[in-house]
Order: sequence, then structure tokens, then C-alpha cells
Amino acid sequence: MSHEIAAEMVANVLTLVAEQGAVLEAGDTILILESMKMEIPVLTETKGTLVDLRVSVGDVVQEGDVLAVVS
Amino acid sequence: MTTTVPVKPAKLPREDDPRHPVKRLSALFDKGSLQLITPDDLSGMLAATGTVDGTHTVAFCSDPTVMGGAMGHDGCKVVVEAYERAMADSAPIVGLWHSGGARLAEGVLSLHAVGLIFRAMTLASGRVPQISVVLGPAAGGAAYGPALTDAVILGPEGRIFVTGPDVVRSVTGEDVDMLRLGGPEPHGRRSGVVHVLADSEAHAIGEARRLASLLGDQGSLVIDDVADVDLAAALPESMRRAYDVHPLLDQLLDRGSGVELHARWAPNITTTLGRFGGRAVGVIANNPLRLGGCLDSASAEKASRFVRMCDAFGVPLIVVVDVPGYLPGVGQEWDGVVRRGAKLLHAFGEATVPRVTLVTRKAYGGAYIAMNARALGATRVFAWPGAEIAVMGAVAAVRILHRRRLAETAPDVRPQIETELAAEHERLAGGVEKAAEIGVIDEVVEPGRTRSALAGALARALTDDSPQGRTRGPHGNIPL
Repeated sequence: MSHEIAAEMVANVLTLVAEQGAVLEAGDTILILESMKMEIPVLTETKGTLVDLRVSVGDVVQEGDVLAVVS
Repeated sequence: MTTTVPVKPAKLPREDDPRHPVKRLSALFDKGSLQLITPDDLSGMLAATGTVDGTHTVAFCSDPTVMGGAMGHDGCKVVVEAYERAMADSAPIVGLWHSGGARLAEGVLSLHAVGLIFRAMTLASGRVPQISVVLGPAAGGAAYGPALTDAVILGPEGRIFVTGPDVVRSVTGEDVDMLRLGGPEPHGRRSGVVHVLADSEAHAIGEARRLASLLGDQGSLVIDDVADVDLAAALPESMRRAYDVHPLLDQLLDRGSGVELHARWAPNITTTLGRFGGRAVGVIANNPLRLGGCLDSASAEKASRFVRMCDAFGVPLIVVVDVPGYLPGVGQEWDGVVRRGAKLLHAFGEATVPRVTLVTRKAYGGAYIAMNARALGATRVFAWPGAEIAVMGAVAAVRILHRRRLAETAPDVRPQIETELAAEHERLAGGVEKAAEIGVIDEVVEPGRTRSALAGALARALTDDSPQGRTRGPHGNIPL
């Protein structure tokens, strides 16, 4: 089963923390977004492999944009 | 409100059926305390009294072994009787739901009877705590029953909807099953109908027991039982870094006492019932991990309903503030952030229960006011050293106030000038010292002394017997 992780709000991609292919536990940080002058970690709710990382540092993401897929 | 049921009810007995209402009611009450107050018959509902952790409690339970738990004249009368008993005894009331809705065969008589339940629930609102546990389908009237109560707990087999998949398909053409229409995912995350998701029937009933105990036996605040811990240990070093507020709340409340309501819906604010020094309290906290902790229309609505519930039952509030502002955007404005945000201002503004505020890192703009600011009548407002209370962040403010000067500055020195201007601005307009000077912060308190400071403020308010010391709001808990 794969889980898409989407942006909750408009933001800049500040840092990529996990690499594609990484094995993640629930609660691990995938990347950090910047919005409202804050650095907001994006976590995975499920354990699995980071099969798709769809953004790069500096990207502007909109609410609902899929950032990553954990399978 | 439609259901397909046989005209003749199924026959009793059904002793081996795990859905037997006596079994479910027995699981709710302390062992050996169950006493039926209505006969175990074919009405489709059964009511009882008993104790929950020693607290006298009233409960009623659908009987899904009779016509799928459908509600007719007799079954609804059972629920109304349970409400009369709860009101007479000033006892919490718990409803265990598993019902296809009104009994079709009884026609308008059953609709009228269901309406009488709604009336009884509304009149009891804010007077006695009402908790609903949905263990199977709860359709039509059986959906609105739980929705009128203070807290809805959903078991893994619980499904709540007004019209079922068949009607939806025939009217709108949408192909959807009961799980996706009204199961844990839609009601836990999207609709806000459900307060607590449970992963088993036993867990669901256990959570109902915890809530009945918290609201029905609130206890007394014992200051000596409130030990200080460094609450800031749970926070990141950088002021800009978002974090999950839950570890802080776990340390703030008595260990393991918290029941979070609406955990997955509008998660940028948290609403938790728990104990503090042994006394039931409600805690509202911004959660910076989600949406940066911004207030938005859904979170403001969620918090306002929680504030009004706590106020109605005399549960003191602790408000933990770390809010960067309201979430900007066309979607928010069109979603009614003005109307729905106003509910939070109203809820705090009218609340008479003791309510203390703690600003941990920042409180900006209109959201500062909405989080139980001094102006809304907070009992006492604390802030940690270094907290910022301002219209907006200092850097953002100087970029507006000094736009021209910064534009004329060479790009390589601009960040440094910005930092200097921000420090100066903070000193003049935003720092916690300035807020204390104006009187909107009563006390700057170290994170390691915060629990005892909050306990002291609440204890003083709870023993205030002046007219201003009234500790229970005279209103119901409309499901905002």
C-alpha cells in the first residue's frame, strides 16, 4: 500500500532530509518546508520505503501538491 | 432516515450475540453495578444505570438484534426515559449506538419519536455530560443523535451517515461504500463529526468510560501533586523550527490522563481533556507541526466548541499558545474564516470558567487575541522568557516599516541591517517585557516553574467565591 504525502499549505521546499529509497519509520522526517516564516518538518505517518520524492530544494508547492510517496 | 426492516421483529432471546445490549452495557459499567431501568424487550433500545470508575452514570444501548436496532416509538421512549433519569440525577449519560435509523414500518410516528430524543438531548446540553459511542451503522436519526452530544466515539465498525450508499447512488450517481461514506477516515479527518477513533469495541467503550469519568467526576486540584518539570525540553532550539506539541502536553498534564478530541481533524490546534493535579481540565494548544500552528476556519471552530463544552461543565481551561497568525488565502476567506473564527472570540469572551494562558514562543496578530488573550478575559496570562507578542514577527514588521530604507541598502549588508532593525523593533514593540508593561502578560515564568504557576493561578480562581468567581457557563453546547 502506498501513501501520498501532500503539502498542507503553500510553502517553499527548504531542505530534503530523506533520500529516495530510504526506509522510514512512522514519524520520520522526509523534508522541511518553509511557510509563515517557520520551518515545518513533513513527517511520514506510515513506515515504508520512500519510493518517490517529487520536489527539490527551492520549489514552491501549493496546498494539496504531492511531495512524496511512501510504500 | 430510511431503513429496510422486516415488519415483524426478530425474536428474543439472543444471549450468544456479542451485540446484545446487556453485554455492551455491562462492558461500560463497573463490574456488578449495572441495573436496568427499562425492560429488556423488543423496543430496540435498553436503558440502565451503573457506575463508571465509581461515578453514577446513565446509559442506553441500541439493540441491533431487533430489526437492526431501528428506532420506533417504544425504543425512543427508552432513550427519553434515560435522559429524564440523567437530568434528575445530574449524571453523565452514555449512548451506545448501532441502528439503521427510524423504523420505516411505523411511519411518521417513529420520526416524531426520534425528534423527541433530539429535544431531550438539546435540553440536557451543557447540563449533564453526553457521550456517544457508535459501534455499528448509525444512519439517519441514529446519526443525528450522537451528533447532538458532547463527544462522539467511533468503533472500527461504526458508520455514520444521513443517507446510505444505496440512496446516494440512486440520487447522485456516486458509487461509495459505507466505510468511505461514513467510516473512521471521513469522520476522523474530514467532517469533524467524530471526536475519538477507537480500534476495537472494547477500546471505544474504554474511551467512553474515561470521558464520563473526566466530566462526571472532575475532582479537586491538589497543588502539592503538581510537580515542576522543564516543559521547554520538548521544544526545538530554533524559534523558527516547527514541532509537535503533544510531548509538551503529555508533560503538562498528569501522566497518561489525556484524552484528545478531534485529534485528526483540524490538527493545527489540539483539544484535550485530562487531569492536572488530579482535577479535570481542558487544554487547547496550537500545534506548529501542522500548518505551522496557524489558526484557520476549521481549527477555530473546533476550539470554540471545546471551550464552550468545558465552560458549560465547569472544566477549567489551560491555553498553550504558539501561533504565527491566521492562515492566509482565498480558500480560507471563502471558507468563512471570519465567521468561523469569530466563534472562538465569542467562546472565550463569554467563558466564565477559570482559564489561564501560557505563551511559549510567539503570539502574533489577530490569532494572539483569539487564543484567550488578556482582552478576552483570561484569568491569568503567562509567557516564557523570550516569547514574542506582536502584530507580526519583528523581521516581517521591519520589512514593511522600513521598506524604503532597506531597498536603498546594498544587498550584502541588508540582512545585517534587517537584524538590527528587528532587534530594535522588538525592544520597542514586541518583546515580552513590553507586553508585561502594557499589562497583557501578567507574569513571565520559566518553563521549569510553569506547572506550579498554572496550578496556583487555577487554584486561586477555583476558590474565588465572589460573583466574578462563577465557574460554570450558563449555556448549552451546540455542536458548532
